[in-house]
Amino acid sequence: MIALESVTIGVPNRTLVREIDAIVKAGEFLAVLGPNGVGKTTFLRALCGLQPVLAGRILLDGMSLRERSALERARSIAYVTSDDAMIETLRVRDVVAIGRYPHHRWWEWNPSPKDADAIERALRAVNVLEQADRLFTTLSSGERQRVWIALGLAQETPVLLLDEPTSHLDVRVAHEILALLRGLARAGRTIVCVLHDLNDAAAYADRLMLLGCERMLACERPDRVLQPQLIERAYGIAVERVETARGARVFSAVDE
Amino acid sequence: MGAWRLPAILALSLCACAASLLAGGSALAPNDIFAALTHPRSGGDVATIVWQLRLPRVAISATVGASLSIGGALLQGMLRNPLVDPYLTGVSAGAAAAIALAVLVGVAAPILPALGFGAGLGTAVLVAALARRGSGIDPNRLILAGISISALFSAIVAFAIARSNSLDAAQSILAWLAGSMAGRGWGDLLFALPYVFAGVLLAALAAPALDALRVGDLRARTVGVDVDRAQWLILASTSLLAAASVALAGMVGFVGLIVPHVARRIVGSAAPVLLVACALLGAALCTIADATARSIVAPSELPIGVLLAFVGVPAFLYLYLREERPA
Repeated sequence: MIALESVTIGVPNRTLVREIDAIVKAGEFLAVLGPNGVGKTTFLRALCGLQPVLAGRILLDGMSLRERSALERARSIAYVTSDDAMIETLRVRDVVAIGRYPHHRWWEWNPSPKDADAIERALRAVNVLEQADRLFTTLSSGERQRVWIALGLAQETPVLLLDEPTSHLDVRVAHEILALLRGLARAGRTIVCVLHDLNDAAAYADRLMLLGCERMLACERPDRVLQPQLIERAYGIAVERVETARGARVFSAVDE
Repeated sequence: MGAWRLPAILALSLCACAASLLAGGSALAPNDIFAALTHPRSGGDVATIVWQLRLPRVAISATVGASLSIGGALLQGMLRNPLVDPYLTGVSAGAAAAIALAVLVGVAAPILPALGFGAGLGTAVLVAALARRGSGIDPNRLILAGISISALFSAIVAFAIARSNSLDAAQSILAWLAGSMAGRGWGDLLFALPYVFAGVLLAALAAPALDALRVGDLRARTVGVDVDRAQWLILASTSLLAAASVALAGMVGFVGLIVPHVARRIVGSAAPVLLVACALLGAALCTIADATARSIVAPSELPIGVLLAFVGVPAFLYLYLREERPA
């Protein structure tokens, strides 16, 4: 369980979001929404301890993140980002194997059978097992995205944070990934995921956290967050809400 | 990776060392060399040649090759740049400048290796200070600082050569720049070995983090790597290994650049195995190059750096371009 107590986040010389109070339970899929630059990525990085909070504190299972070492945090929280890096000559399996780093002591150079199993499961979960021996640089952007997710899965952490995991994926693969994340949440993992598509978020997440105007505007069930006035306040754009058989959906109401 | 590859590289390295023992101005039969090796106190010309001339050269060239290759693999991994070598730390340029100035003012030759070592390490500290950002190292700053400081010290070397009023002094400076192990012995190796061991130990400490660093500093932090610590370990290791190599053999170019590429093609990219393969392949390459350098124009010697450039660079370009060419 992650507890945020009056957390204020920001970057040097700029506060992004003030006074966030929220609890994310084990087994919950929380989607973080908000306009560009509002602080969603900073929020995720604060959640995994990569970035210090400006005020307040973040507790993981009752213990402050600051009290945990980097390795302890990496055994509890995996952070998946889609920033690309030049990794010439690394094969897909080598990339995913990096997720096992926090489970090794420095002299344990060789992967254990447990590592091999975790890597195999992660590759299979995102459907890139067949590409395991390919060079990472030969993959499409969508395949790379799945490999980054596999790296996070290989860490085998109870908490998985993902920054726009569907950003490079076609609609079918995006839904496969979101379904996978929901399945992981049902299996007991805590998933916190930054998404841009409000309707995808509403379809798969248990709750939506909406950031805007330097505040957390809402952290509720999807149908309570997909309110035109809330969306307009966050994004500055009018939307129409439509009720469908699968719940509420919103669409841009801007006239052509 | 096939489990046989690392033992095969080890066998290749041992064969290279054995072949290197055969090379030299005096033609010695393999069984005489073997007898001298197994009976070090037997005396005689063969034992003297083997124990006082050839064996130290083999050990020194293997040490230089292994050190530069490990350093190259570490820096290439940390900077995510396949075109850097250990001399980016400024070690060679600093050492060359100090030695050039020392030769110019007439410092005694036996002091030069230690002077080169100290100046090389000092320059590495300067480059590291310029590359520092916060508590870690900025990879781009490191590259810029390494290139800039090396260019500055290269100018000092050129100045020293231009100002030297004796041919001997100029040749002495050029010998350092071209790389040579002529006249080196056990004493030189004993001076350098503690620093080589320290460099290898630091490399072993940094090795597990190296793979994670290759996918970016941010991702490395997310899996629990102390990136700042790993960067300092790698820079310290590379600087020690490069400085020890420069003290032993002057500037031996291309080894630290080429060997990591070849090793990656053979054993893959997993850092611990890669570093071991680099050490063995680097040792093999340098011992063979040194044996060739001292036998091809015997009784004179070619500078090993020149030989490596003539042979190594076309071979590297062939390998690299073949890899880049579409199937």
